[in-house]
Amino acid sequence: MWIKTLCLALLLQGSMAAAAPLVPWAQLGPAKQEILQPLATQWDTLPPRLQKNLLHAAKRYPKLTPEEKRRFQDKLEKWSKLTPEQRKRAREKFQAFSKVPAAEREQVKRMMHEQDAKKAETAASGVPPSAPIK
Amino acid sequence: MNKKLHPEQVRQLLNRSLTQLEQPVLVRLRDAREQALARHAERVAAPAFAWAGNWLFAATHHKSRYFAAAALLAIAVFSGGAYWHHEHDVSEVDVAILTDELPIEVYVD
Repeated sequence: MWIKTLCLALLLQGSMAAAAPLVPWAQLGPAKQEILQPLATQWDTLPPRLQKNLLHAAKRYPKLTPEEKRRFQDKLEKWSKLTPEQRKRAREKFQAFSKVPAAEREQVKRMMHEQDAKKAETAASGVPPSAPIK
Repeated sequence: MNKKLHPEQVRQLLNRSLTQLEQPVLVRLRDAREQALARHAERVAAPAFAWAGNWLFAATHHKSRYFAAAALLAIAVFSGGAYWHHEHDVSEVDVAILTDELPIEVYVD
């Protein structure tokens, strides 16, 4: 009796983890389609699990600020093109970075922005970046 | 003749008549008495054992089913809760990454 119960429970758990049916783009509804617009062309080819995660994320979209909404949609396509393993590692890295003290986090962000600005300047001027001094 | 007999006198009369009976008759009487007593004991014990057995079997059977159902329900609730919690956490982190100031590349190897 206990073995049967355990098997049934494991089966139930397995089926829950595997249960992620494919949702066609046409069935999303106008609101979801608008949020996930950057993925319109490739949505039907995305793995069901990713679709499910994105649909979960889309639920939070209405509560985001306009700036966050812009970033969300800008990054959607790139995010969907990552492999499941890359997304998993990205989540882990993000969570680890979130634990860094706020002041240090801000410092890292500032450095990243400065680096991006320099890259943009270099690209605009057409001069190749100088080789690091050894 | 109509003299009323006292129980003690009856007992003495019976005992006296008993001593006058032949041995084979006494043996048959004793056997008959023992068989009657055994049948009586069976009749009294049988329903009691049957009831106790049924009750015990039903209780055990019912109990194990009850515990199995409860365990299954607990595992299902726990699994469902853990799965939902995990999915919810993943989606929270995904939204945080997608809305973060830093580009995705920072978090991707």
